[in-house]
Amino acid sequence: MSLTPVYIICSPRPLVGKTLMARLLSEFLLLKNGTVTSFDVNLKEPSLLEYLPKTTETADVIDTYGKMQLMDRLIVDDGVAKVIDLGFHAFDEFFKMSDEIGFLKEAARRRVAPVILFVADTDRVSARGHEMLLQQIPPSALVTIDNEYVVRGELPVAMSRGRLLRIGALPPFLKTYIDRLNFSFTDYLRNEKDSSTELHQWVRRNYLGFRELELNLMLQR
Amino acid sequence: MSKPVVIVVGADKGGVGKTTVSRTLLDYFSANNVLTRAFDTESPRGTLKRFHPDITEIVDMTTTSDQMKIFDTLNAASPSVTVIDVRAGLLSPALASLRDIGFLDAAKTGQITFAVFHILGPSIASLDEIAETANFMSGAKYFLVKNFINDTQFFQWDQATYNSYFHRIKDATELTIPKLNEMAYEQVEVSSVPFLKFVANKGVHDEAANYSFVLRGYVRHWLANVWSEFDRIKLTDLVGAGKSTTRGGEK
Repeated sequence: MSLTPVYIICSPRPLVGKTLMARLLSEFLLLKNGTVTSFDVNLKEPSLLEYLPKTTETADVIDTYGKMQLMDRLIVDDGVAKVIDLGFHAFDEFFKMSDEIGFLKEAARRRVAPVILFVADTDRVSARGHEMLLQQIPPSALVTIDNEYVVRGELPVAMSRGRLLRIGALPPFLKTYIDRLNFSFTDYLRNEKDSSTELHQWVRRNYLGFRELELNLMLQR
Repeated sequence: MSKPVVIVVGADKGGVGKTTVSRTLLDYFSANNVLTRAFDTESPRGTLKRFHPDITEIVDMTTTSDQMKIFDTLNAASPSVTVIDVRAGLLSPALASLRDIGFLDAAKTGQITFAVFHILGPSIASLDEIAETANFMSGAKYFLVKNFINDTQFFQWDQATYNSYFHRIKDATELTIPKLNEMAYEQVEVSSVPFLKFVANKGVHDEAANYSFVLRGYVRHWLANVWSEFDRIKLTDLVGAGKSTTRGGEK
């Protein structure tokens, strides 16, 4: 029987592409499984809720009640993949809490598979955040996202050692195009007849990356 | 037969967490397979009894008959460890009674192991109790329990005040009880189960419960911290039981 995946997209830095990743992954899972539940834990950044209102709920980790509302949902093995768009302001509190309440251990017991997708950047705050995750998360559950649009070059050495998922940079005009609130990656794939367009290939490449990520998880566990 | 052990948990001040500490002790002994009985002196209605009804009896420590019930059965009782949760305001009178009946002398001569967990709250009044209680402590293991029910510093920022209370009693051992998340605490209260059962997601009659995973996580983390304090003071050695390699609560 397969595990219920919980993808946590995170970074201690704002504007590194977390919500973009969450949109892509949520749409991919919706296309593949027909269902997904996404959680928007953002206060100050572009919001996943605005892009995918039908499959997204808001959540917070500011107080215990908010933590209960979120974590008690994440720990359920209901076969529905979950995507969490974790805002930079909630990064420390979320992982402190998850360590304290033993989220990973309980998840393993309940056949829930958390995958931490850490969106890399080259600054010190990101380096510290990544180091903290290395100590807390088993290597098989930690994936570093190399967003070319943000990193623009080599990843820091410590981040390039583990599992990686590369997201290519789009030209600015396409970036503006996909940032529109009514843009859907899956709709674009379905409706765009010309599969050789840069955006078409970019979306397919990313969907393929997610598929490989899923396969790796299935093989490892 | 092992030596009887009596552990008194008390404070003269109310609301400092005496029963909470008693509950963690009972959970600790249960997890370490130490048979324990408990007396709750909040007569006629006891909080400890609500959480540990099977092993707790409510007594009125001011009456001779109930004093006999506790102390005359020490050698006969099969659990060799007795935990007494002394209600607010009764610690000093209770210790005076123990002195009067010769109990403290028996502890001094080693016939009984006697320990006092003196729970301190974040006030000078609470700290003032230390000197008073310390007068009774020869022959007993005296533990000063700093219960962080709020963000108190126990006057650590004022070294003179701190030293005047905490360094005055030579043989006292300090213990720290960290703060438990408020919602987690309230949920355990509502559930009326021992902390250990709450962590294991069990109801009063061991039936499967549906407590929040987050709150259970907070309680587990907190209880582990409290127990590590008990491990630090070698509590199982004190009560004459070797620490089991795998505790019930850690399974």
